[in-house]
Amino acid sequence: MSVVRTVATGVVVQLRQMRGTPDWFLALFTAPLTTAVFVTIFLHAGRGDLTAYGVLAPALIALWQMSLQTAGELIAKDRENGSLEALLAAPAPFAALLGGRVLAVVAVSLVAFAEAWAVGWALTGSPVDVAHPWVFLLVLGLTALAMTGWAGVMACVFVLARSARTFQNSLSYPFYVLGGVLVPVSLLPTWVEWPSRLVFLSWSSDLLRDALAAGPVVGLGARLAAVVGLGAAGYVVAHGLLGRTLQRVRRTGSLAHA
Amino acid sequence: MPELTTPAPEATGSVRRPSPGRRPSPGRIVAAASRVALADLRTVYTPLTWSVGWLGRIVTQVVFFAIIGLLLDDREALVRLFVGQAVMVAVVEVFMSVASTTWERSTGTLALLVSAPGPLWPVFVGRSLQWIPSGVATSGVALFVVGPFLGVTWTVGAAVAAGLTVLLTACAMYGVALSLAAVVLRGPRWRNIVSNVAHTLVMLVTGVTVPVATWPGWVQALAQTLPMTHGLDGVRALQAGGGPGAVGEPLLWAFLTGAGWFALAALGFTLFGEAGRRDGTIDLDE
Repeated sequence: MSVVRTVATGVVVQLRQMRGTPDWFLALFTAPLTTAVFVTIFLHAGRGDLTAYGVLAPALIALWQMSLQTAGELIAKDRENGSLEALLAAPAPFAALLGGRVLAVVAVSLVAFAEAWAVGWALTGSPVDVAHPWVFLLVLGLTALAMTGWAGVMACVFVLARSARTFQNSLSYPFYVLGGVLVPVSLLPTWVEWPSRLVFLSWSSDLLRDALAAGPVVGLGARLAAVVGLGAAGYVVAHGLLGRTLQRVRRTGSLAHA
Repeated sequence: MPELTTPAPEATGSVRRPSPGRRPSPGRIVAAASRVALADLRTVYTPLTWSVGWLGRIVTQVVFFAIIGLLLDDREALVRLFVGQAVMVAVVEVFMSVASTTWERSTGTLALLVSAPGPLWPVFVGRSLQWIPSGVATSGVALFVVGPFLGVTWTVGAAVAAGLTVLLTACAMYGVALSLAAVVLRGPRWRNIVSNVAHTLVMLVTGVTVPVATWPGWVQALAQTLPMTHGLDGVRALQAGGGPGAVGEPLLWAFLTGAGWFALAALGFTLFGEAGRRDGTIDLDE
């Protein structure tokens, strides 16, 4: 079975599994309300000019939530429901199948962008303009791919260190601050800004905000390279960890033990 | 915000059995169920996961909203958003009771509870109590430990009064969460959606982020039925320098509205039990 076909199978399988399970779509239920929270804060402060920030942030939060938190549990769930052994024994490459499944979750999470945009429009009476649509789409695509890589990392971490699941709830707001999803990291103290630059989301957030604004997008190439580089790091780490994870569960005979 | 998906542990400790033919009092049932709640709390959190994992996440949530004040370049907004979120985090945790109520169904104990001689509602009032102390503690850390770093300071008297106000607010909002839980018991797979959507709505309309007066009249009326609106008013009054007397009226309203929600929750659980007995759906999956 070719890698592409396996990825496609992963996408289809994941979409089937998600159907009828509301929890997978939690972020899509809350994104419109979170948009209302942010946009009303800005409108109340008389800063309608920040509406784009209030629309973008909930969409990025949904992307982060669904990708890293939900997709990160995939291997753990396979292990719990006893399908991991069969998937590993099958001739199709497991990494490609996992990648396809994560990609499906990330793709669904992009619906939050449309939701947030519609709510922003409803609250302000005018839609948020996308001044640089091609830059916006390019950054969004690269961000989704970077998310996919890091979700793969989380999937392995949850298996390698079971205690990591206890800290799953902690993966949200610290990264929303460091990722500058609402408040640009340049407004934060220097000691926060520096580590935030190691989080690909901080580059994505700034670029997406610039793509919405009328002014030129300065330094596009270097900033895109940062997203690509940090995203690629996710794939490298995920690849290494996946091999180690599977080797370990085979060696310890804990493949089917959740 | 994701749910803590920990399977409900078995109850620890012994529960005194009522003599045959006598219905146990609601108070005794609440006390017995609260032991299960305590056992749950010990399973869900260790001191490390609570203090580093959960508390760290909650503190960052409060900071995330407070720094919107930096974006607005408005010190007043920073304080307003900080105080609102610091109280809100207690409610967020209390709303986890929507999910933990349904654990009785997933562990298969619900049918036994319905067939037991005592009323059903005190069981659910007691079995999710664990979120209240945890929520009040995280809120307290945010208000009184993180607050001073952001320039939000308190006198000792104001801090004590604010702490008690947060406690009453969390208890009263527990009634709201239980009312929702009574509905969600009929469709447990919706527990996380309902819990998260509900607490985000509470954040939106009760003055956590923007004043209640910002909203249309019907939303303001709805907000007045929620204890959070009144409790938060009390904490804001204290933070602004009002004496402990400033919280008298908000506390009274928080108490009265909370009592109303508890009555609604008790009715909801009772109706759920009766309907389940009638049509035999208590233990059936959706």
